[in-house]
Amino acid sequence: MRTLEINAEARTQTGKKETKRLRKEGNVPCVMYGGDKNIHFYTHENNFKDLVYSSNVYIVTVHVNGETHKGVLKDIQFHPVTDKIIHIDFMEVYDNKPVTIVVPVNLVGESVGIKGGGKLRLKRRRLAIRGLSDVLPDKLDIDITDMDVGDTIQIKDLEYEGVEILDPARAMVVSVISSRMAMKGMEIPEDTEEEGEEGEEGEEGAEGTEGTEGAEGAEEKEAEGK
Amino acid sequence: MLQPKKTKYRRRQKGKMKGNAQRGNQLAFGSFGIKALEPTWITGRQIEAARQAVTRHMKREGQLWIRIFPDKPITKKPAEVRMGKGKGAPEGFVAPVTPGRIIMECEGVPFQVAKEAMKLGAQKLPITTKFVVRHDYDHS
Repeated sequence: MRTLEINAEARTQTGKKETKRLRKEGNVPCVMYGGDKNIHFYTHENNFKDLVYSSNVYIVTVHVNGETHKGVLKDIQFHPVTDKIIHIDFMEVYDNKPVTIVVPVNLVGESVGIKGGGKLRLKRRRLAIRGLSDVLPDKLDIDITDMDVGDTIQIKDLEYEGVEILDPARAMVVSVISSRMAMKGMEIPEDTEEEGEEGEEGEEGAEGTEGTEGAEGAEEKEAEGK
Repeated sequence: MLQPKKTKYRRRQKGKMKGNAQRGNQLAFGSFGIKALEPTWITGRQIEAARQAVTRHMKREGQLWIRIFPDKPITKKPAEVRMGKGKGAPEGFVAPVTPGRIIMECEGVPFQVAKEAMKLGAQKLPITTKFVVRHDYDHS
């Protein structure tokens, strides 16, 4: 798993007044819990750019007053209007203790069903997993090459060594649904521009196709309105 | 047009809109959205106009979620009627929106298409809004 190092200052005073002062200076108050004692610290908001504004998951090593603590991101609070980071919670991790984190799903390959005109629907972008910190993966790779139209992958179908997936076993992760084109039995030439773009875009391209039904639903609404 | 199927009472008091949105202030479904920066009442008609503008620009791609619902009835007195004689007749429904509230979200279209669609939708609303993107959205 990727790691990120952050140098922070310990908070000697807590409370509303002190917290407001820190935020005014561009700092973010943080807490790390799950260890022997809670550690309150702060650091500048620029240090969290890689951690917060990224799809990657990190194990964060925080250096506070000469001590080093390892943790994972547990919760972030954003300002409702400005979207600035208000507060960050970390959960302390130990090498011999299982840790729960949320990791992104990465779709690998191009499905047979999509080539036949189906639409890929990624229902769960991230999954909660549990395991020892040194064996936890950065992302969960799911091979969709053999998926045909109508096929789905549920949580129970996924297996990774040393990792327990905490989401409900019957929850759907990804599926290939039939589109109008697939239902009509029309063949889409493989070398068309659209197909090429989808292949290049990978996961994003796949996501791009998932919401066609929403647009259709919207059109139905319009028709009803008329 | 969005409106409740039935309401318990036909008329409601105006109420206050103080502070920022304490819920519904982060993207929950899509990767892109628009966020209100001012407090206001948004009518069902305005929401429908915005929805049509967004859907039209996104063409047949993507998915759209509307995160506000006009469930508050508003009344209006007829023209040239003196004050008093009771509250006016119900005229429509509004959604009270406070700063920070996500109004609509979309997914399944490229960044630029979503931005333009949301801009066109925001033009139909009576407030200033800002375009927001999911924090972990991968721009590459």
